[in-house]
Amino acid sequence: MIARRDLLRASAALTMAGCAQRARPLREDGRLVVTFWYAYGDLVRKVLLDLVARFNASQSRIVVKAVHQGDYFEALAKLRTALAAGAAPTLSHVVLEVVPYLARAGVLEPLDAYEGARAMPFVAALDQRGSFAGADREPLVCIPFNRSTPIVFANARVLEDERVEIPRTWEELADAARRLTKRAANGETRWGFEVPISWWYWVAMVGQAGGRLVDPGGRMTLGGDAGVEALRFWQRLVREDHVMRPPPGRDYQAWQSSNESFLGGRIAMMWSSTAYVRYLEDNARFPVVAAPLPRHVRASVPTGGTMFVLLRSAPEEEKLAAWEFVRWMCDAEQTIAWSTRTGYLPVTRPAVDRLGQGRWYERHPNDRVAYDQLADAAPWPWSPELFRIDRDIVEPRLEDAVLTGRDARMLLEQARSDAERPA
Amino acid sequence: MTPRARWHPWAMLVPTLGLLVAFFLAPIGVAAYESLFSWDLLTPPRFVGTSNYAALAAHGELLHIALRTIAYSTMVVAGTMSLGLALALLVDRPGRFFAFVRTSVFSAYVVSWVAVALLWMWMLDGNGGIFGRALHGSPLGDPRWALPTLAVVGVWKLTGYAMIVFLAGLQSVPRSLHEAAALDGASAWGRLRYVTLPLLAPTAAFVATTSLVTSFQAFDVVRIMTQGGPARATELFVYAVYEQIFLDLSVGRASALTVVFFGLLLALAALQLRVWRARAGVAR
Repeated sequence: MIARRDLLRASAALTMAGCAQRARPLREDGRLVVTFWYAYGDLVRKVLLDLVARFNASQSRIVVKAVHQGDYFEALAKLRTALAAGAAPTLSHVVLEVVPYLARAGVLEPLDAYEGARAMPFVAALDQRGSFAGADREPLVCIPFNRSTPIVFANARVLEDERVEIPRTWEELADAARRLTKRAANGETRWGFEVPISWWYWVAMVGQAGGRLVDPGGRMTLGGDAGVEALRFWQRLVREDHVMRPPPGRDYQAWQSSNESFLGGRIAMMWSSTAYVRYLEDNARFPVVAAPLPRHVRASVPTGGTMFVLLRSAPEEEKLAAWEFVRWMCDAEQTIAWSTRTGYLPVTRPAVDRLGQGRWYERHPNDRVAYDQLADAAPWPWSPELFRIDRDIVEPRLEDAVLTGRDARMLLEQARSDAERPA
Repeated sequence: MTPRARWHPWAMLVPTLGLLVAFFLAPIGVAAYESLFSWDLLTPPRFVGTSNYAALAAHGELLHIALRTIAYSTMVVAGTMSLGLALALLVDRPGRFFAFVRTSVFSAYVVSWVAVALLWMWMLDGNGGIFGRALHGSPLGDPRWALPTLAVVGVWKLTGYAMIVFLAGLQSVPRSLHEAAALDGASAWGRLRYVTLPLLAPTAAFVATTSLVTSFQAFDVVRIMTQGGPARATELFVYAVYEQIFLDLSVGRASALTVVFFGLLLALAALQLRVWRARAGVAR
């Protein structure tokens, strides 16, 4: 008779077998197939597919097959399941916060030994070492791809009409949002300010309030008093001043809702990702101006976006081919194309230099904002628990505090105690 | 009919029992066992005893999910049954117009949940949706209104089904009973109250059970319209299981939720059976 323990062992063994290496590489018409799972839509998807097509046309040995997998979180769910089932792609890109967890799980290919891996001229704040505090002791497992910071987007026409300057501090933000909020007699409101109630933006404010997610001893403090102050500032704007509207929906649904409200003229200012610079500029019927996030006791922003990762389970030949594609994507030409057609940060120094020499930033000052903000970028802790803390522990409580008015300190204390409990 | 051997009836049951064990009892057993481990699919499982249940019970999370699911189901079942019955009574008439109305109302039921959810999101969109604009914002962004809004969507989708089943029930009520009641001087309301509704009780029980099961399994509509938000106001059982296993990387906790979900459904089904048996006893 099969014991239950055997059953669990068997399912775990199957999973581990699934994570094991596929022996034979895929080929199509004599070309090595690199399966690349990616995760975004609209303009960004189009630009990426153009680049993949260009790579495939540039040589005859490798064909990259880009497969859309929904948004970042859907793509991650599929990637984990595929890893467990032994059907993982060769290459993917994953949201920054999950890299330490995947590295600890041993599913990412260490890249140190790959040709040129340690010598790629990345912008310091954007590679693995710059993005994570403590990552210099870890093997290299990720390469920057679509990297971003949160920035301010404002409707320049409304600001001019209301004679409001872009806010540079939290207090200026509260004042500007108050002056820009207009309520019509029919109940329609133009909101002064909008930002998705999301971990990324809260982390930015924790830094601005002088806090850090992790103390020097490695304990997850969630910013301590600064975390509470950041959350209370949101509560004030939404619940007391009534000048900020949290968009409906979660994750990218909320982000997209903010974009649509902004483009429709229903909000005057919002915080969003630099990834939307081109999309907003191209679709707005008013001039869009981007600016750095306001400071409080200091200026601070997290970086965001995703990193390329090679999956360890892929056959060696496929991984080498995938690496060739990753390196090609990091060449200045592709980096510039990617950055200028979307708004994402250029991830290499040669690309930044060429953009400067070509006077790109003089003609497109909104593109420069995120890059300049990197001077205030705060690295993430290299913590395998980071993703769980973000998704499961902190984010629902941020929504709870802002939407229901529950006490910010109590909620963050709960979050801290949950974060300290093993998963 | 008498079986030739005592084991024959059991042999007949084997295929059904086999399927029941393979696809229901065994997975529940595995889930119960896995709920005692911390496991993320990618690394070896670690025994943690009942800590997954303790973590879910902490801060009342488990209770909130259960209460939320029951509240959603209650709204959907009550709305579906009352609207379905009202519509069935209204359209239980001959003629092309009523046939068209019956088909139109039922058509919502054959549309997939995904399409229904997208349609409602569009109508509720605060930036341009017909309801969203009228309400000056989407109710899906308000923790007080998000769950009732999802229930409205559920009712809209399931009412056509309830209407059709009630129509079948209505058409099986003998006309002679209505005629006899009318001869005895019963009003239209009296005939409905004392003839139609009692005879529709088995149909109502069927509609209630199927609506309850469907509403308890709500996933697509949550996944597409709210992702469990805002502030977890629409996190129902099945979505919570999905979120735990795929987004929060915890197979153990998802398994614990599955076990509790199974227990809750079992208790509700047992309660329902008990009520119906008691009623059947009274009827006899």
